[in-house]
Amino acid sequence: MSLLKKSRIYSPWLYHLHCGGCNGCDIEILAALSPRFDVERFGIQLVTSPRHADILLITGPMTKQILPMAKRVYEQVPEPKVVVAIGSCACGGGIFYDQENYAIIGIPNSVIPIDVYVPGCPPKPEAIINGIIQGILKLSKKS
Amino acid sequence: MSSEIKLIKYTIKKPITLRYPSSLIPEKKYSQIPEGLRGLLQRDNEKCIGCKACHYSCSGKATTFQYRENKLIIETFILRCAFCGYCQEICPEEAIKLTKTFEITINNPNEKEAYVTTELDLVKCKNCGKYFATKKFIDKTYQRLIEKINPIIKELVMNDYKKIEEYCTDCRRILSIKLNTHPKKYVWLEG
Repeated sequence: MSLLKKSRIYSPWLYHLHCGGCNGCDIEILAALSPRFDVERFGIQLVTSPRHADILLITGPMTKQILPMAKRVYEQVPEPKVVVAIGSCACGGGIFYDQENYAIIGIPNSVIPIDVYVPGCPPKPEAIINGIIQGILKLSKKS
Repeated sequence: MSSEIKLIKYTIKKPITLRYPSSLIPEKKYSQIPEGLRGLLQRDNEKCIGCKACHYSCSGKATTFQYRENKLIIETFILRCAFCGYCQEICPEEAIKLTKTFEITINNPNEKEAYVTTELDLVKCKNCGKYFATKKFIDKTYQRLIEKINPIIKELVMNDYKKIEEYCTDCRRILSIKLNTHPKKYVWLEG
């Protein structure tokens, strides 16, 4: 294993993508990043550009407005990448799940391939940390 | 002076960060688990009678049911479930309970671990041979019928229900005159 691959697993960077949810899961993600839970123990850092990221966090059901931007963000993340869906909206539609809804395209899985699902409405910060660790384990297999 | 004392206090104190996955003490592993926390749902297969009340009360359409030959299959898609607890509230037999497990990660939504399923055996209709309801469901409806009924017509209803117990809802309507179970006769009694 080369040095580059090893260092990627020890310091995966996050990018947080909001796809039209109610902001509940986003607040819980911020709680997971705060000193009480401190995800930075694992070398994780929140970055402002998807070009620097290794792990993509998705929240909310995929709305029609965000679809082109979400596709572009996913393409900008360099390989190897892992996508973690947080909250029951991003996992399976949640309470917004309705096939006749004109504003919502459907589950993000139909647009972006998702590796790890973390259900909950919203999930606790511990569950989010657990999901991110599962994502890191998948990242080590991909690289 | 007071600020210096505060400074010394915080240097001696341990950091508030929880060592979440690696902590050896289970009490200090989690931040707080409140009493009313709603987590993964659990359905008791022996208590469930197959009334489908959880399907009709589900807020996100996560619970679905289907008839597959001689079995009724009720399954809940965990990824869509919002853990709202409506099914626990409405369940007449208290078969559904929301546990306190909240650390759930699923890698593949098509796997079996993404569903909570219960399989129940169905009873055949005597007339048309269609599978229509579970044995427990028929018994429970009979019990609940007796509790709420007017004592004047209690015996008549009890006899009538035992005649049509083994037929499905469509055949009950068709055979009501043949078996003398038509509800018209109760009108004569009251008048």
